[in-house]
Amino acid sequence: MSGTTGSLAANYGVETDAVVSLNDIKVHYPVKEGVLQRVAGQVRAVDGVDLTIPKGKTLGLVGESGCGKTTLGRVIAGLVSPTSGDIWMDLTVEQQRDVQRLRNQNEKDFSEQDRQLWKQLTTGNRLGSMSREKQREYRRNCQVVFQDAFSSLNPRQLVRDIVGRPLRVHQEASGEDLNRKVIELLERVGLGAEHMLRYPHQFSGGQRQRISIARALALNPAFVILDEPTSALDVSVQAQILNLLVELQADMGLTYLFITHDLGVVQHMSDNIAVMYLGQIVEYGPTDQVFDNPLHPYSKILRDSNPSLEGKRSDRDWELSGTVPNPIEPPHGCRLHPRCPVAAAGCGWSVDDVLNSAEEKTPIIFETITTVERRDDFNAEVKFRDAEAAKSFATQVKSSVANLALDRPPELKGESVKLSFNEVPDASIQQIQDGRWTSCTRTQELGALPGFEKDKG
Amino acid sequence: MSENWLLKVQDLSVHFHSPRGVVHAVDNVSFEIKPGETLALVGETGCGKSVTARSILRLVPEPPGEYASGKILLSQDQDQSIEILSAPIKAVRAIRGERISMIFQDPGKALNPALTIGRQLAEVFGEHRMDMILENAGIEPDKASRADKMIAQQRASFLQIRLFSLLRSKKGKALQKSIDDAVARALADTGIPNPRKIMKSYPHELSGGMKQRVMIAQALACDPDLLIADEPTTALDVTIQARILELIQEMQKRRGMAVLYITHDLSLVREFADRVAVMYAGRIVETGPAVDVLASPQHPYTQGLLGAIPHRRTPRGQLAAIPGSVPQLVSPPAQCHFASRCKWAAEACKSVVPLLNSTETSRKVACLRFDTAEKLSVDIGDMPARAEMGEVAAE
Repeated sequence: MSGTTGSLAANYGVETDAVVSLNDIKVHYPVKEGVLQRVAGQVRAVDGVDLTIPKGKTLGLVGESGCGKTTLGRVIAGLVSPTSGDIWMDLTVEQQRDVQRLRNQNEKDFSEQDRQLWKQLTTGNRLGSMSREKQREYRRNCQVVFQDAFSSLNPRQLVRDIVGRPLRVHQEASGEDLNRKVIELLERVGLGAEHMLRYPHQFSGGQRQRISIARALALNPAFVILDEPTSALDVSVQAQILNLLVELQADMGLTYLFITHDLGVVQHMSDNIAVMYLGQIVEYGPTDQVFDNPLHPYSKILRDSNPSLEGKRSDRDWELSGTVPNPIEPPHGCRLHPRCPVAAAGCGWSVDDVLNSAEEKTPIIFETITTVERRDDFNAEVKFRDAEAAKSFATQVKSSVANLALDRPPELKGESVKLSFNEVPDASIQQIQDGRWTSCTRTQELGALPGFEKDKG
Repeated sequence: MSENWLLKVQDLSVHFHSPRGVVHAVDNVSFEIKPGETLALVGETGCGKSVTARSILRLVPEPPGEYASGKILLSQDQDQSIEILSAPIKAVRAIRGERISMIFQDPGKALNPALTIGRQLAEVFGEHRMDMILENAGIEPDKASRADKMIAQQRASFLQIRLFSLLRSKKGKALQKSIDDAVARALADTGIPNPRKIMKSYPHELSGGMKQRVMIAQALACDPDLLIADEPTTALDVTIQARILELIQEMQKRRGMAVLYITHDLSLVREFADRVAVMYAGRIVETGPAVDVLASPQHPYTQGLLGAIPHRRTPRGQLAAIPGSVPQLVSPPAQCHFASRCKWAAEACKSVVPLLNSTETSRKVACLRFDTAEKLSVDIGDMPARAEMGEVAAE
């Protein structure tokens, strides 16, 4: 194992300048209940994401619906403010190292020099604390193309107004000059002057997406967030748009954050890829390597379930069981473990996991539970209506993987079962090979995906 | 009947009347489905694949829709067949759900949000399986009184007027249990872990994958001979998509039914279909065994469609996109609809409608490159370059 351990600040790709760096970003939405709107819990849409987007490259962000990828994109665009965490813009390699170093220190312990540096960094590069001027510059520099080109274009505005709006807001052009610039932009995305005085409904899906792209490019940004730009389009049109995006990137030196659920598209388009699951990034690395040799069970399952046009149908020996857990109370340890095919003792089993699996697999036993007295998430006493149910519950626990994680075997006392699990810290993403990051604790231990150790040599 | 087929669509044309003119949504489409076979109908948005599928169950609203021509034959016992488009509506209703059933694209929209899953599925049994319900409740179907049937019907129906059932609560309870058992069995069949709990929940409480399983359970409740799956996994995530398709395949094997997949995703076709029919602008342009068509597409459109799929081996930015966009289908001219986007297009393509020609056994292509000038009686100079039979798309 060649990893750096313990460092929370996963700082991917530190060898290049970054357009945007994220530090421990969290977005929690309160769940309110009752007449008094009491806060009953937090939906952890994004929960502790560190990410660096290297300049001039395409970073693919993949995950299933509800994993928080769109929220993360909106945070980066400044459309959603994070509950906690820092967003840094335009950091050079040295600055990234400084930020990393200073973040791990207590602010009181800073030397005078460090204090100066920190002040300089926060006022100059941190979103939220930088000057209004800088903030405006960031907004100009970072543009978004949204998924649905039908709802993201104002139906009552002409194409000229839609594409020219950013230029007007930032007082770049007006009058004849504006028209000239709009035509230039339209031509750049494969449309023409004749489209300038039409309404969005007069265009097909692909053309609308081109208008969206033209609008995003109006202010000459350095960084474009593409939030599922082609998922509403047909394959043949999708190919046109993807080709256009690549061409524009080469011409204008753009950086892309490509958010998608389509693995084929992401594989084609991106240099690096970050896989998200339940609000966290579980794997990060160069696209080809992640696809050839995934280092997280979730990435492997995602890859294998993607239907392909060639080769033999990939053997889906691994499958996710059950459904996506509740993001209000995500599982402890590694978030995938209750569904993971290779979960082991150290993956973070807790009382909730056992109860959830009982609910799913043996609802009859689950319904006989009267009370659950829990000391904490890892220790609890489950009481049943009758001794028989308690007994079968205990045998069920013993036969599952969770049994290995128990501190001592489940204590069966009449109608109650006492469970006490070993406490496991939350999994953190760590580098285990050059440029390859994974949050799978078993992979971190073995240096390769469980069951694939030998292939690595 | 010499050939063994389950469903035969012959020269089907469906038109829609709109203020701008008549839209030729489906134009002379013919195909057949054999028992137990999986046929995939592939095409892009607006190519008429969903309208074709809905026509099979006669679900296209008239007006504005109109079945302009053609026949849809469903084979029945003793070499008989029924023509769906001209049959009385009562006969069609007997076919729907019983012999042909359908899964829709978005399970969230296809299920009634105001009813529990149990009630929605009960309706199917009340409509189609009354005898079975009565029998399981200990009433002989032949001897059941009208009142018994009525109670069963109402127990199954979502309206649940309890007037009769109150008077005969014992029988009512037995019938309710019989219905619940049938529903639970249907749900358990599709791999839903705890059907009794699911039955009590409303659609919004379930995940997308689970809703689609409920849809499948509902569609398969009466053991249909043909299942039409209209983009069954488009609204689902990839990990769930694979499981749902495998479920359909497994059910198909177990029950020996035929499946008609409607999809835009060619990569699914390869894994899950025996034969494929590619549609473009209301017409079928190519048919054949899925493996062969995907390995060596013959129609320029199929070739373009395959080239447009992003792949890691294609250099970035060089996807073979098809230029232009799909033509308008309002009073379309009599020509090859693909001519405006085709790189081989010649004069003849703009004046002749290409028909499906056999190129190899079991493969057909509608392209003038596989036709001869003599047969079409056009000038030989106007014909597009001839294609080699069985040519592998090198481009």
